[in-house]
This record gives sequence, structure tokens and C-alpha cells, in this order.
Amino acid sequence: MTPDDTPKPYRIRPCTVVYIALMLLTLATWLIGKLGYSGLQVSLVVLGFALFKGFLIGDYYMGLRGIKSIWRWVIVLWLLIPGILITVAFSTAA
Amino acid sequence: MFILAELLVFAVFFSVYAFTRASHVELFNSMQQTLDTNAALINTLALITSSYFVMRAVAAIRDNRADHSYRWLLAAMFMGLVFLVVKSGEYSHHFEHGINLRTNLFYMFYLSLTFFHFMHVIMGMVILGAVAFKMKQGAYSAEEHTGVESGASYWHMVDIVWLVLFPLVYIMH
Repeated sequence: MTPDDTPKPYRIRPCTVVYIALMLLTLATWLIGKLGYSGLQVSLVVLGFALFKGFLIGDYYMGLRGIKSIWRWVIVLWLLIPGILITVAFSTAA
Repeated sequence: MFILAELLVFAVFFSVYAFTRASHVELFNSMQQTLDTNAALINTLALITSSYFVMRAVAAIRDNRADHSYRWLLAAMFMGLVFLVVKSGEYSHHFEHGINLRTNLFYMFYLSLTFFHFMHVIMGMVILGAVAFKMKQGAYSAEEHTGVESGASYWHMVDIVWLVLFPLVYIMH
């Protein structure tokens, strides 16, 4: 391992802030569904929340933030590629 | 590599769901209204909380606090159990109403996707249980805890997949 791909120690406070952010984004997503909001723009906002939450899990909980690891790219690409395909599919259907 | 393969399968599953929906928008939108978004909310919060607990378990063993790490792992497993109980309740409700894989295209995708993920949660629980057992035996330390990191990565993968599945299947229409 080089210094760039060595896992950094967890900083608990930022991870706890991320936890609260994940909970709030989840509640916002649920509320959008409960209130019956629909349409392409709403769907893309909700999808954006989900992808952002995935990035946060990868960066903060998996400890990939700021390190040059292939796993960071795996997570980023896994979120982006299906995200783009889902966006295209929903745009086609709209 | 195992996690990578799992992620690829879910990515294909999500994309096929989205493109199939594009040809059956009315069916998917109407069937989506029959799902229990409250149960999905509880499950999402449970998995996010379990991921936080797993992160705390890894942080604790890096500090050589195996007893703390063990307790965080048990807490994470409890939240995984909450997910399984709530999801089983949803399945039970569907089956009582005669819903199965052949009901329609939406339910074929919904049941397949969520059950595939359900099986991954069970697998994740088994892995976390094995890690917790070894932790109790004193197998991990600040210097050697590869098993804890690997188990945690698998659990976070299960969580990330659900974070996309939840809005895609329950909310977006």
C-alpha cells in the first residue's frame, strides 16, 4: 500500500453528521412519495438523493474518501452508470 | 471480486426494470401505489442505521477495542433483523392477497428484485454473525482485522443497493 491508498482513521463526528443527513434525505424521499408528487423532474430529484446517499456511504462509512482506491471508482461507477441508464429510461417514458 | 459481481447483477436488474417500465408506465405506476411505503421507510432507516453501527464496529477494532466492536456488530445485526421482519410482513401481506410472480410484470420485478436483495441481507447477517463470533474469540485486533473490514464492505454494499432500490421501486413514477 502507498500512503494514498492507506485507509484513514474514522472521524466519528463527520460520520454521525452523515448519518443524520442520510436519515433526513430518506425522510424527504418518503415524504415526496406520500404527498403523491410525480413526474420526470421529481423522479430525478429522488434518484439524485439516492445516488448522493450512496456516495456518502462509500466515502464515509467505507472510508474511501480521499484515498486512491479502485473501490472508490467501483462505487462511483456503480452509482453513475445505473443512474444514467435509469435517467434515460424514465426520460424515454415521460 | 465477489462484491463487484453482486453489484453488477443489481445494476443490470435496475436498468432492465427501468427500461421495462418505460414500455408499461401505466401498469407500473398503478401497481406501485399498492406498495407499503411506510414499511419501505422503516427498512431504509434500519439499513442506514445498521451501516452506521458497522462503521462504528470497524472504527472500534482499529482502536483495538474488540468488546466495543462486538457490541456494535450485534447492534447492526439487530437492525438487519428489523429489516427482515418488516420485509417478511410485506411479503406475507402480498401473498395473502394472492400476489405472486405471475400476477403481472410489475410484481414479477418487484418480488424478484426485493427477494434477491432480501437474500443478500440474510447473507450479510450470516457474515456479520461470523465476524462477531470470531471477535468474541479474540481473533481480531488493531493490527489484524481484515475479516471485519471485508464483512463491513459486504454489508455497506447491501445498504447501497437498497438505497437505490427504495426510490426506484417504491417512489419514482
